[in-house]
Amino acid sequence: MSLYDPERDRVRIAGRWLRWSLSWIALPALLGVLVSANVDFRSLPVIGGERLSAVLFQDGQAYFGHLDDSGESGTLTLRDVYYFKNSDGGPTGVAVGLVRRGTEAHEPADGMRINRDRVLAIERVGLGSAVAQAIQVDRELAHASAGRVSLNPTTVAGTNALTAQRVAAEHDIARSWNAAVDQLRKINDLVLPVTKSEAQAITDKAVADLRTVRRNALAAIANKLGMSSAEADAYVRLTDPLLEGPSFANEPAVLLAPDIDAIVTRAVQLYTQVGDAAAKLLTEPKATPAPSPSARP
Amino acid sequence: MPTLGHSRYQAVFLTNGQTYFGRYYDRIGAYAKIEDVYYLQQVKSSDPDAAPDTRIVRRGRELHEPASRMLIPKSAILFIEDLTDASPIAQFMDRDTR
Repeated sequence: MSLYDPERDRVRIAGRWLRWSLSWIALPALLGVLVSANVDFRSLPVIGGERLSAVLFQDGQAYFGHLDDSGESGTLTLRDVYYFKNSDGGPTGVAVGLVRRGTEAHEPADGMRINRDRVLAIERVGLGSAVAQAIQVDRELAHASAGRVSLNPTTVAGTNALTAQRVAAEHDIARSWNAAVDQLRKINDLVLPVTKSEAQAITDKAVADLRTVRRNALAAIANKLGMSSAEADAYVRLTDPLLEGPSFANEPAVLLAPDIDAIVTRAVQLYTQVGDAAAKLLTEPKATPAPSPSARP
Repeated sequence: MPTLGHSRYQAVFLTNGQTYFGRYYDRIGAYAKIEDVYYLQQVKSSDPDAAPDTRIVRRGRELHEPASRMLIPKSAILFIEDLTDASPIAQFMDRDTR
């Protein structure tokens, strides 16, 4: 009878421990290190807030929207897309304006397939950022729903954000109105080829036209916000006089939602047209009547 | 885990000429990740004849207030370098993130 008991063999016991620790400790640990280094847990589609991405292109252009990069092809898909246009020197004080993709001449459908080789970087947009706020207000204006069935429901602006955008737009319109009136005053300070009374009449007419543009812009904002015609009339009557006087000069710039930005931009274009027409009338010398030809030599 | 592994911070040079500084993570797949991203910004001096000042800016204060991590397609990366501990940029980032 052999005294050797395999159950008590130290080498075998050590081997069993080694196999156990390899399969239950070392392998899971290695797997954990690999997964944690390569998987961004915050990117997983778990229940949470909206995931708005910024896709920065190599040419400097930036697009914002819901990113789908799940495919193995060389493209990634961006939906509900917004992008920046150059608004340097514009009425909002922000160097860029936000544009909703789909409003271009070719009216592209939703879903932009982007060549990954042209992408410089991808970032998560902060939901409290100026870009996100403007997008949320745009959704509210379009009466978009929050999509509650989604794991990451889209965010729609509340009353406060909407009010902030409305007030910012009003002040942008007022600032541009002030600038247009100042320009007219400066022209009136020059030596003009028209009489004082003619200059006054031209200026008064131009200021009245500028006021009409301002009121129309306010009415357009009221319409965009979904006010009834009676509410819009009351809003314009109440707000218009408040915009005459204060300069609103040192206010922080606000990135406006695309539709509100379009109203402000249009108002500024019309201010410029009215101002230019008045400046032309004020500064162009009157045509002197040509001497009538004599019948006799 | 940073690929280079010897330094806390890396400089990532991109194909469009831009450089980002931060903690670089190589990952399986098409993208690499940079965390706590900084970049250099040229600021015009008040004197028009003077050269513009260069300052280092932490990414996150832009209009879209991006999160602290950035994904970059590996095809957009030209090369990556470790920053030494003595690097003024690394020291600035160390102080700033503390």
